[in-house]
Amino acid sequence: MFVLLLKNFLRSKMVITGLLIVMVAGVISIYIGRQHIEKIKTSIAKTEHYQQEHIQRNVQFFNKEIGLLLYYLRFALVNQPPPLNALSIGQRDVNSSIQQVTIRNLENQQYDTDLFNPYSLLAGNLDFSFVLIYLFPLLIIAFTYNLLSEEKEGGTWRLISVQYRRPAKIILLKLAVRAVIIFTALSVLLVLAAIILALPLDKSFWATVSLSFFYLLCWFVISFWVASLQKSSGANAVVLLSAWLLLMVICPGVANNYITSKYPVPEALATVVKQREGYHEKWDMDKKETMDKFFAHYPQLSNYSLPNTQFSWLWYYAMQQMGDDEAEQEARDMKDKLWQREKASRRISWLIPSMHTQYQLNTLAQSGLGNHLAFLDSTKQFHENKRLHFYPKIFSEADVKKENWNEYKVMTFTESSGVGWAAMLLPLVIITGLLAAISWINFRKIQ
Amino acid sequence: MRKSVLLLFARQVFGTALKNKAVAALLLLTTALLIYATYSGIAIYQQQTHSRQLYQREVREHWENMPDKHPHRMAHYGYIAFRVKHPLSFFDFGMESYTGNAVFLEAHRQNSINFSEAGFSTGMLRFGEISIAMILQVLLPLVIFFIGFSTVAADRENGTLKILLSQGTSWKEIIFGKALGLLGIALSVLLPVILLLIISCLIFPEKKYMADNGWRITWLALSYIAYAGIVSLVAVLLSAVNKTAKGALVSLIGVWLLFTIIMPRTAQAMGNYLHATPSRIEFETAIEKDLIKKGDSHDPNDPYYKALKDSILKAYKVDSVQQLPFNYSGFQMKEGEKVSAMIYNQHLFALLQKYRQQNDVSRLSAFLNPFAALRDISMAMSGTDFQSYIQFQQQAEAYRYRLAQHMNDLQIKLISNKKPGEHDKPYSISSDHWKAFPDFEFERTSQVCVLMHETPALAALFCWLTALVVTTVILSKKLKAL
Repeated sequence: MFVLLLKNFLRSKMVITGLLIVMVAGVISIYIGRQHIEKIKTSIAKTEHYQQEHIQRNVQFFNKEIGLLLYYLRFALVNQPPPLNALSIGQRDVNSSIQQVTIRNLENQQYDTDLFNPYSLLAGNLDFSFVLIYLFPLLIIAFTYNLLSEEKEGGTWRLISVQYRRPAKIILLKLAVRAVIIFTALSVLLVLAAIILALPLDKSFWATVSLSFFYLLCWFVISFWVASLQKSSGANAVVLLSAWLLLMVICPGVANNYITSKYPVPEALATVVKQREGYHEKWDMDKKETMDKFFAHYPQLSNYSLPNTQFSWLWYYAMQQMGDDEAEQEARDMKDKLWQREKASRRISWLIPSMHTQYQLNTLAQSGLGNHLAFLDSTKQFHENKRLHFYPKIFSEADVKKENWNEYKVMTFTESSGVGWAAMLLPLVIITGLLAAISWINFRKIQ
Repeated sequence: MRKSVLLLFARQVFGTALKNKAVAALLLLTTALLIYATYSGIAIYQQQTHSRQLYQREVREHWENMPDKHPHRMAHYGYIAFRVKHPLSFFDFGMESYTGNAVFLEAHRQNSINFSEAGFSTGMLRFGEISIAMILQVLLPLVIFFIGFSTVAADRENGTLKILLSQGTSWKEIIFGKALGLLGIALSVLLPVILLLIISCLIFPEKKYMADNGWRITWLALSYIAYAGIVSLVAVLLSAVNKTAKGALVSLIGVWLLFTIIMPRTAQAMGNYLHATPSRIEFETAIEKDLIKKGDSHDPNDPYYKALKDSILKAYKVDSVQQLPFNYSGFQMKEGEKVSAMIYNQHLFALLQKYRQQNDVSRLSAFLNPFAALRDISMAMSGTDFQSYIQFQQQAEAYRYRLAQHMNDLQIKLISNKKPGEHDKPYSISSDHWKAFPDFEFERTSQVCVLMHETPALAALFCWLTALVVTTVILSKKLKAL
């Protein structure tokens, strides 16, 4: 029976075309992901090469004063993208995966964005997550919208109801045929992705696989539920497409507008203004005031004292430090706001499978806001370490030539990747279970 | 074609649609979303404009209140420019959320425009935003398709079509009449929005741009009405071509998905694939390389700056820069700024050219996809398109250059050429000079330029309308009642 239904279903031209379109889009998306990853990898390689060259050249020009040299020297920290990032580009196209900072005021440097074409961002990436979240459900809708109604409209339903004790079982069997085809298609794409992108078969990969399967299962159940309402094919198509529209466009759009206006980030602009004032006003202020604050921040450096000259690097870097110190509150408020946004998104997405899947995929692919915020924190630490390393050398006017400049290599930040299975799958499982139960009850009423 | 028959069909489509409960619910939902979008569009516009103006004023105040100091300190103190939102951006968000909002303008360095809404987003932004324009471009056509799929196909299925045609009604009358009815439904949603735009244009505080905004709204209104006409005709035509109403519905849904979801992404992905752009590190190293080739002002033995110095010394017939009658280091910085800005702009121009080539694929897809045409026109007229963003970027850079060079000029003229000793007070000039330097003001492009730039999109809309009318005329000779 199953094989018969399968053969019958695959005979339809519409089915083959639909499958073909989604598979082609899927393969293209994998290659787009690869292009994305390769661009970042090339950038990282170039940064490593550039840093060497950059340090060498500047050391050659500014070998008398280490304070002046460090005014120029930039050190890079890289946010290594995991291979899975190719499947879900997420925020990695907006937020730079490379930070290059001098030991001067950090708040003036760390928010620099990558180069991007806003038109492309508006259009959106054609990555695997798009194919999974948007296109596969459409395929499911196209395959299943007339599951029951075509039997009714074709007059075969009466025959079935007479022949079987539980006619709903036939519907379930038909659904299973379609599910086998769709899940096979998904598996083929995932296998292709694993080969083309050389994905390691680790926990994150299996998490992605199971997330994808549960998301599509959710859509099958939505379709099953619509069939259980026993409307005409046309009505089913309208209801299913409306559901799709609600989950892909309207709910996320409303949620996004809500988050944007509920958590506005004027602190960002405040940070820019504040850090600039914090540093620049010190040029016209009493040096002692700046130095007192600086030594209060770094008591371990208070044994250095200002030389008797108009300008000194100790004073200069103390002023730079004040830019960060005085904008600290605003910068922290901004980060808090962004974390609030992240948390609000996560909570809202529990109710909306499409958003949930995208959010979780971004988390697995380390391409969400959370990853970027962690990277910013790590940049701050990296910058601080560089400062603590160079401050004593600058203040004691260490010899540039005595320093081993070759040891300053590009550093890498890697987010620890844990998979929260329950938080990832439970929302989908609950929605699927509830809808399945409701549909089953609906079907029991038909006899 | 008889006018009375056309109107009869139009009224019939309009009347039956409104009586249908599902349609009424859909229209109600659309209206509710429109109200929400209007509300949040205005709220976001006010909120962001308010905070940007606030900080722009603060930046200006700080600038004017800077004490007497060395002009080069002021060049490094620099300026911060905040992107000004076009008031019509409440209607169409366009790419506003993806573009940066604040840029720090200082000497020697072109900073990136930072703090875009997208950078602050959790990735949910990528599902799209709810704006009035988005509802009219994406959701309204779907509603029209849901209403329109049965217009002819249902008549065919229940046999009315045969009777109509045998009574002497022409296919043309049926198709245009029913399309007119659908257009009527679309207009009942569109016209209140157009009214809203006109009212808001009258209450925008900026009287200077009143006429400009008026024209923008006119073009917006015309394009949206043309788009609604295209959508209505497509709905009726596909309903006439398909044998069954179900078939018509499925093909209309397919068309909608293709136009609004699949094609825009694919076209842009194709553009990105065809025209690869450099990453930031590549861009920056290329600029640095060119700069070093031309002359490295950091290198004390650089031949370019050495030659510059020698020629000046020769012209003034002195043998050291200290003997020059003006501040030489200001002069050298002025030259350096000129060279670096020129090289930067060359690279930036090449980059923007690449972006434009990428976008051209999307822009030209308008001839295949009326949605893309309308989207481009709408963004452009609302001041939220790529061009408006570039405008800001370039004006900010021009301002940065003026500021840096003005400070260099002040240094050349007013700062002594003698290097101060280690214990001397640093040279400074009066703070009046800061006040005299004007504030950054964003100059908007006039709607005429926008219109010129959007000619392809307008032409595409026009082509679509014409092609559909021609198709209707041709098909009306071939269509059958059964």
